[in-house]
Amino acid sequence: MSDLDAYRLKAREWLTSQASIFGREQRRGLSHDEDLAFARRWQIAKQEAGYTGITWPASHGGQGLSALEKVVYEQEEIPYGFPNDYFAVSLGMPVPIMLRYLPDGDPWKLERARKALRGEEIWCQLFSEPAAGSDLAGLRTTAVKDGDDWVVNGQKLWTTWAQHADYGVIVVRTDPNVPKHKGLTYFWLDMKSPGITVRPVKLAAGDEHVNEVFFDDVRIADTQRLGPVGGGFGVAMETLIIERYSATDPSGFGPPVALLVDQSKALTIKGRPAIEDGRVRERLARTYAMQNGLASIYKRTILSLQAGLEPGPEGAVHKLVSVRARQKLSEYAIDLQGVQGIRHSEQDDPKQTWQASWMTAPTGRIAGGADEMLLNTIAERILGLPQDHRPDKGVPFNQIPR
Amino acid sequence: MSILYDEGQQAIATEVQRVLDASYASERLKTLLETRGRYDETFWALAREQGWTGIAFPEEHGGLGMGLVELGLVAEACGSVAAGAPFLNSSFGVGHALLNYGDAALTGEWLPKLASGEAIGAVAFAEGADILPTEPTVRIVNGRLHGTKPAVTGGASADVAVVLAAGEHGPVLALVALAQDGVDRDVLETFDNSRGAADLRFDGAEATAFENMGDALAAALDVLRRQAVVTAHEQVGGARRMMEAARDYALTRRAFGQPIGAFQSIKHRISENYVLVELARANAIHAAASADDAVEFPRAAAAARLMATDAYDTVSRDATQSHGGIGVTWEADLHLHQRRARSLAIEHGNMMFWEDALVEELEGAA
Repeated sequence: MSDLDAYRLKAREWLTSQASIFGREQRRGLSHDEDLAFARRWQIAKQEAGYTGITWPASHGGQGLSALEKVVYEQEEIPYGFPNDYFAVSLGMPVPIMLRYLPDGDPWKLERARKALRGEEIWCQLFSEPAAGSDLAGLRTTAVKDGDDWVVNGQKLWTTWAQHADYGVIVVRTDPNVPKHKGLTYFWLDMKSPGITVRPVKLAAGDEHVNEVFFDDVRIADTQRLGPVGGGFGVAMETLIIERYSATDPSGFGPPVALLVDQSKALTIKGRPAIEDGRVRERLARTYAMQNGLASIYKRTILSLQAGLEPGPEGAVHKLVSVRARQKLSEYAIDLQGVQGIRHSEQDDPKQTWQASWMTAPTGRIAGGADEMLLNTIAERILGLPQDHRPDKGVPFNQIPR
Repeated sequence: MSILYDEGQQAIATEVQRVLDASYASERLKTLLETRGRYDETFWALAREQGWTGIAFPEEHGGLGMGLVELGLVAEACGSVAAGAPFLNSSFGVGHALLNYGDAALTGEWLPKLASGEAIGAVAFAEGADILPTEPTVRIVNGRLHGTKPAVTGGASADVAVVLAAGEHGPVLALVALAQDGVDRDVLETFDNSRGAADLRFDGAEATAFENMGDALAAALDVLRRQAVVTAHEQVGGARRMMEAARDYALTRRAFGQPIGAFQSIKHRISENYVLVELARANAIHAAASADDAVEFPRAAAAARLMATDAYDTVSRDATQSHGGIGVTWEADLHLHQRRARSLAIEHGNMMFWEDALVEELEGAA
């Protein structure tokens, strides 16, 4: 057995032992505040078992292992529905980038890392704005130098868990007189700073995990700057690829196709088991084939990493394909249930019911890279096709027509 | 077997592609479209010379002793050039049937010839839309075959065929040499003539029923699954080539002051094609690598076939569209792949067949 297999088995064993304490069923019916408190207890258990900061260096409180162990662990975690939600962004991007840019051995940063790993503190990532999503470099929140401080004004949007965040990282415009990518600067900040207002945005499915965050003369010390003045776009891109390899789910974090197979046996069409219907068989078979392709791409990526090789670029198809397919399959599965298909509870888990999966799928197709941007990435980075026509290219930000 | 190609396997892929690209001539293929019952002799001579004909057969029978992964790599390269003969797969199917279900004498007689390419094999199971007929109309009585197998791939040129026939106690697989009285072939006019589709009419031809088998339908399905993996690789190769053709054209063709590849209607379509090619390729590799896994292989082979058919059809269709007017001309050669996408789709099991085959596996497991 390889070391990695041994690691997987050990993780599986531990996760199985935690399922009856922190699993999906234990979360059912909790209020939002109760769920957060519950999640924090889970995070402590996870930290004590050695499954947080898997790829972080030991000097930052991590396990000092490779992306492989991290991916294997995450993959094993997927089926249980543990309450990782509140810490995924925090530990995935803002905290690691802060640790990377602040001086080695800085006791303040090490204390932040320790608390973040235990879920005692949460960091958020203040990137997107009302007018800057896919076009991140078009952001408009400004920071103006005032002595040793910067004064921030503007608005961020879609900030995950900002309502619970203790700290955050932010990209702001510090120079509007240069082309858009070049006038940005990156900072960390205390979310309790005067002048910050956080308002949760209720999403269509009813959940409130993203926020709008307003900045009204918020002061940030220049010592909180991560990277050079004008270098913020580069640091933002670096932040986004820290989690380059993460566990994927061929069903796009929706229900597995096996659930639809089971339901198709129980449901009927004109008095006969639905699974005998050619339309249903076609859908099941095509879906399985697509998901099997994703699983194989993923497996090849892992094997490449294990062999010390650079994985092929085809991993880029994963999010695009899996979430879009999940959305369509969920529509189909709801249809198959006939009038009963309308049943839905906001508490339902997108990995367990087609309704919850369907309700939340639109978010999945937009957050973290909209389908259209992913198609652009494939076209430009992998296939070498030209960029779109960009009228703002090379134009100073303050001269771009609005 | 790993789904990550090793250096030897990568070398096979590169070398086969190099050799095939060097000998490629679309004029040769287009000539074949306008005749019947002929195949690309240049390609087949190359396949024999390079040892591709025996790549997946054991060394003691004159093969190279490799497996589905390597044959798949050869097939992928063949698919990329829309190779002008179907025999690598059809002969492989006959050889696999002999090795696993035939007797020693028959295997000793035919397998070395199939491995060297001296003999060409054909697989004749389907009867119309019935891919694996439970009650075949072709019958074997006292060692003699009667009836017609329609549109057999490679049937126009094959020396030997494995036939699914009704025996005294249910279906059997039988081997029949085709150069004998009692066998007539009607070479068909088709949209992809180098596939050599022919009706094989048996009127008392001598045939040998395989004895080394239980359920003939299960054995036939096993043969089809192996062939499905080869076909899937061929489809992946063709789909990849069409995706690249669209990409290359989108980079050079200009309209409205820019390369058409800068328009999202074109570039996103090509990205979607890339997605399909990669999903199909991953499925095909996975299936080839799980050939010895009795649980995984049946579903992997069916999934590979479904994804590859979808990819090749879609990418061929889209690539032609991305080329605009020039794409629909005889000269542009895209139709070679468009034709091949459809002929491969229906050889050795169509979409409906593989959908059912896959769902039967999923039902059993759920």
